[in-house]
Amino acid sequence: MVKQDDNAFWTILAYLISGLAFWGGVGALADHFFKLHILVFVGLVVGLTAGLSLIWLRFIRE
Amino acid sequence: MAGDGFVPPSSADFFFHPIFGTNILGTKPVLLVGLSVVLISVFFIASSRKAAIVPSRLQFAGEGVYSFVRHSLGEEVIGPEFLKFIPFLFTLFTFVLCNNIFGVIPLLQFPTMSHIGFPIALAIFTYFVYHTVGIRRHGLVKYIKDICFMPGVPKYIYVILTPVEFATYFIIRPATLSLRLFANMFAGHLLLLVFTMGGKYLLTSTILMKILSIFSFGFAVGLSFFELGIECLQAYIFTLLTALYIAGALADEH
Amino acid sequence: MTGTMAIVGFGLSTIGPGVATGLVFAAYINGVARQPEARGLLQPIAFLGFALAEALALIGLVLAFVLK
Repeated sequence: MVKQDDNAFWTILAYLISGLAFWGGVGALADHFFKLHILVFVGLVVGLTAGLSLIWLRFIRE
Repeated sequence: MAGDGFVPPSSADFFFHPIFGTNILGTKPVLLVGLSVVLISVFFIASSRKAAIVPSRLQFAGEGVYSFVRHSLGEEVIGPEFLKFIPFLFTLFTFVLCNNIFGVIPLLQFPTMSHIGFPIALAIFTYFVYHTVGIRRHGLVKYIKDICFMPGVPKYIYVILTPVEFATYFIIRPATLSLRLFANMFAGHLLLLVFTMGGKYLLTSTILMKILSIFSFGFAVGLSFFELGIECLQAYIFTLLTALYIAGALADEH
Repeated sequence: MTGTMAIVGFGLSTIGPGVATGLVFAAYINGVARQPEARGLLQPIAFLGFALAEALALIGLVLAFVLK
């Protein structure tokens, strides 16, 4: 039982990190490409939403 | 004036000149890895060679470690098919544990895992093992599909969610697995270095400072015991997460 | 001394989520210890609280890198 909690704990952290890293990275690349300075924040928000919704779907919904 | 001339420890303290030869294979971390292999082999061969029904003290210690890995890391986490993975988990656990504990043993005093290369190598092993297990169990296409597509979501949401899931399973998981071990060992060793080097510097100063250096060294000794706890815990967590990833790859759905 | 203030900012910004994570799990452990059969009910709530608190910590980390 405790070990399932442990698994969930680290998976939640991994989802949040990878959401921010992937979409934030995409935003930063787009910024670099279009010479802007705002898309990275849009990307970060999208990534945070994606990570949180994956956590919601995976651990909280049922 | 105290504070002049004190050089705080930095990451440069983690790199050594070769003890013999000019090759990188002659440096302290590499020699420690070799030593750990010898120590582990000798210990477990000696503890299992004269196995008896009434165990000797050595045999009891060896079997204690084995049954800990087998029951609390293998059987409880992986489930009925745990027996195949016990050799891998057991090797991983003893190797990481031995190399971590080198950090507090006098004279050796260097946790090998505080060089990022060693945890990365171990994480690569884990990475191949759990993906191979998953692909063999489900087939390549179904395995990737299970990972990337969370059921019960409208189709267009997949554009956002699938890259994140893919990155989690194929990049972030092994990266965090190795980084966690590395960062804990690095920070722990740096902490001990701060107190011992600070104490050593205080000894070169005035009489009052020499008396105060006792506290610094005392703190270093106390923190060594704290580090011992962290080192055992990190070895346990590394093996536990490996077992959890294998269990996740074996499971039918995510 | 050299360095950036962003690192100090990140250090300060981890205090809040650290306290929050501790409170979430303290309450979770308390609840499960008093009433073990309520675990299934409490677990999702604890994970949701943990995820939200941890998201704040990661935002601090990211902003330390992004805002120069």
